[in-house]
Amino acid sequence: MATSKKVITRDEWEKKLNAVKLRKEDMNTLVMNFLVTEGFVEAADKFQRESGTKQIDLATITDRMAVKKAVQNGNVEDAIEKVNDLNPEILDTNPELFFHLQQQRLIELIRQGKTEEALEFAQEELAPRGEENQAFLQELEKTVALLVFEDASNCPVKDLLDISHRLKTASEVNAAILTSQSHEKDPKLPSLLKMLIWAQNQLDEKAVYPHINDLSTGQLETLSE
Amino acid sequence: MPTSSSSSSSFSSAASSSGNRQADVFSRLASSDPEVKLKALREVKNQIIGNRTKKLSFLKLGAVPAIASALSDSECNSILVQSAAALGSFACGFEAGVQAVLDAGVFPLLLRLLTSSDEKVVDAGARSLRMIFQSNQAPKYDFLQEKNMKFLFSLLNSENENVSGLGASIIAHACGTTVQQQVLCDAGVLEKLVILLDGSLSQREACLESLATVLKNNPEAVSRFVGLEAGRYLSSVTELTKDRYPRTRLLSCLCLVVIYNTSPSYFLNMGTKSSLVTTLLELLNDHGQSGDDAALGLSSLIAEKEDLQKLAYEANAIKNIVDILKTGSELHPKRLQGLFLSLAELCSKLEDCRCSFLSLEMLDLLVNALRHKNADVRTAACICFRNAARSVKVAVLGALSNIVLDFSSPKSTFIEYGGIKQLIELSKSMDPNARCSALRALRNLMFLADNKRKELFYSEVKAQGFVSLISDPEPTVQEQALALLRNLVDGCINSIEFVFDEDGLILDTVGKQLRKSPQAHMAIQGMYVLTNVASGTELHKEAVMQQLFPQPQAESNNFMLKFLQSHESQLRSATVWTIINLISPSSPGAHDRHVKLRDEGIIPQLKNMVNDACLDVKIRIRTVLSQSMSFGDN
Repeated sequence: MATSKKVITRDEWEKKLNAVKLRKEDMNTLVMNFLVTEGFVEAADKFQRESGTKQIDLATITDRMAVKKAVQNGNVEDAIEKVNDLNPEILDTNPELFFHLQQQRLIELIRQGKTEEALEFAQEELAPRGEENQAFLQELEKTVALLVFEDASNCPVKDLLDISHRLKTASEVNAAILTSQSHEKDPKLPSLLKMLIWAQNQLDEKAVYPHINDLSTGQLETLSE
Repeated sequence: MPTSSSSSSSFSSAASSSGNRQADVFSRLASSDPEVKLKALREVKNQIIGNRTKKLSFLKLGAVPAIASALSDSECNSILVQSAAALGSFACGFEAGVQAVLDAGVFPLLLRLLTSSDEKVVDAGARSLRMIFQSNQAPKYDFLQEKNMKFLFSLLNSENENVSGLGASIIAHACGTTVQQQVLCDAGVLEKLVILLDGSLSQREACLESLATVLKNNPEAVSRFVGLEAGRYLSSVTELTKDRYPRTRLLSCLCLVVIYNTSPSYFLNMGTKSSLVTTLLELLNDHGQSGDDAALGLSSLIAEKEDLQKLAYEANAIKNIVDILKTGSELHPKRLQGLFLSLAELCSKLEDCRCSFLSLEMLDLLVNALRHKNADVRTAACICFRNAARSVKVAVLGALSNIVLDFSSPKSTFIEYGGIKQLIELSKSMDPNARCSALRALRNLMFLADNKRKELFYSEVKAQGFVSLISDPEPTVQEQALALLRNLVDGCINSIEFVFDEDGLILDTVGKQLRKSPQAHMAIQGMYVLTNVASGTELHKEAVMQQLFPQPQAESNNFMLKFLQSHESQLRSATVWTIINLISPSSPGAHDRHVKLRDEGIIPQLKNMVNDACLDVKIRIRTVLSQSMSFGDN
């Protein structure tokens, strides 16, 4: 027998919501944080000018975005040079990231069909990573397997060739740069929305009330609707 | 897919072409054209960052002095930045690199960069200096000299994060003595450092590291720190143990550990102690350096403190640590050392901890650690073993008996000796299960052991000791004792001599036991003892015959015949083996022994067993019978 849950009408709910005080500055900071972390340089600049929200040096965002873009386009060597110009410590102190970048370089060489160059690269640059750190051996073997198959795009490890792998590497580099600049690597906005969904799930056990089901609109919907 | 011929040529050319490329860029470093030089510097820098292998090969080429010249001779900012960055990378976490960089006289050159008007040059210089200061080879910084103190403070005061971080790094790595700590505190370093706590992530972390160094074992410094703004900064550090970044959590924990060990009175609150322990335990799961440092930090925190050890035990520390040790991946020596020391501390006073630990079947891991190439790890494992073995609970010994040890390293003699002694003690326990388990462990220890270990062991037990063990009231203990003896005399001929010590006391006892109609399992071990002895010299074989057929025999107490008729195939097998060794044709007295065996009905009995159900027995009997035929009798 379900215990009766408290029922809150739409009116009551909206009254409760209106009673909560929020600061404009907090919301602006959230937006700025989102724009900066995601790398929307021009938008961040304009937003700063229009809202007066404090914000970090845009040049560093531009630099970071250049690196991310380079990886997304498959220009890994260029990306590495840019990261090292930005902060030489990042790759020196992040062996996993460095390995993933080298791995991506190899993938790009294979994608371009430059097999001999790829073999050379694998031997000269990737193999030592496996020697330096045993934890990388498994992934290394997977990547080198690409070289073994005639048709790499149809082999068991073909997802390495996927564009999504580039995005994964790009994201990793982005996060490392953000950390080195003492920034949060994830924007706050998604966390807030997750918190909202969680809170609604929790409250569902105790009450009936209007939900926000579409995060993009934030519209209140009662169950009967 | 390249054909085999081209792929092999590409592999062989890969090595030489990379070498050529490196030599090429190296030669361009010395170019007089600044554009070419700059490009070469950038190339070297980009090749070595993150790449230990390349650092080593460029080092061997002599790149460091070449880059150092570029740094000293140039006025161009870009060249300064690139060469400083390259040198910093050589020094990053790479001791050979640090040495090369210092040897090339780079240190003063980098210092000069700190006063540049170009921010990027300052950054590059500060970063590289910080890399050097993270190494033990960094030049000693004399805090006692006023100009050095002034310089240090100018670094700490800087707006530039890299520069203030350098100042903190110098303190963290160069401050060692109480006098230095005092001088720094008197100059107001604590007040300067705590400002960094509110700064950026890297400033915060640098500050925490330096704080720990300045406060360590210095109650005055600690009280000064705690007194700052009525304890506000102590609270800040405590808050940071919950920070989102693991390294910050770790460094703040280590700071608190230092404060706790120096002046525990500031930690009256049980809650703080408890959360410090649990935070460190969580950090143990971090795969990187933070996890390594957390292990050592934990061992330092709970050292000699029973209340904290209890807290850790209740927070499931033992299981967590053992799980990490069992993951099978290569753990950093510092982490291994820290984990074993933590276990050692946990087992030092609390019996529950010891039982918990020993029930987790960790002994193989512990034994491997006792043979680790790093001396600190071996020591930590040894202390752990010693503390854990203090337990007298019987359940524990069940695990002990499953050890298969192989102490081949000479350095382990000390450890091994301690372990053997302990087991011998346990073999005299009141509890038969304890005796049994201890003997089982010793039996494994003596398996294929070298003479040194056997001598070591025998010297502690001696003939009389063995007699007691073999004559133990419990049959299971007797069986283990005989199995132990079997392993002891196995191997080289010298080992057989043990049973002849004190007028053959041990051998007599074995014979006596065998004549007493023992249970099969005991008899098997006893016969194998005789088999091993009979594999020796003429004298040895004759001595075995004496035991088999002692004179005068009161009755026909021929246990050999009984054993050959046993239902246990292993017993039949062991008995046949003894016979094989007794009449092996290469020894002079074999013929006479064969006669005796025949007269006692042994050989005829074997003839009845040619179709023994057990294949192993059947084969052995055939061997005997063919030996028998060679003596001409049939």
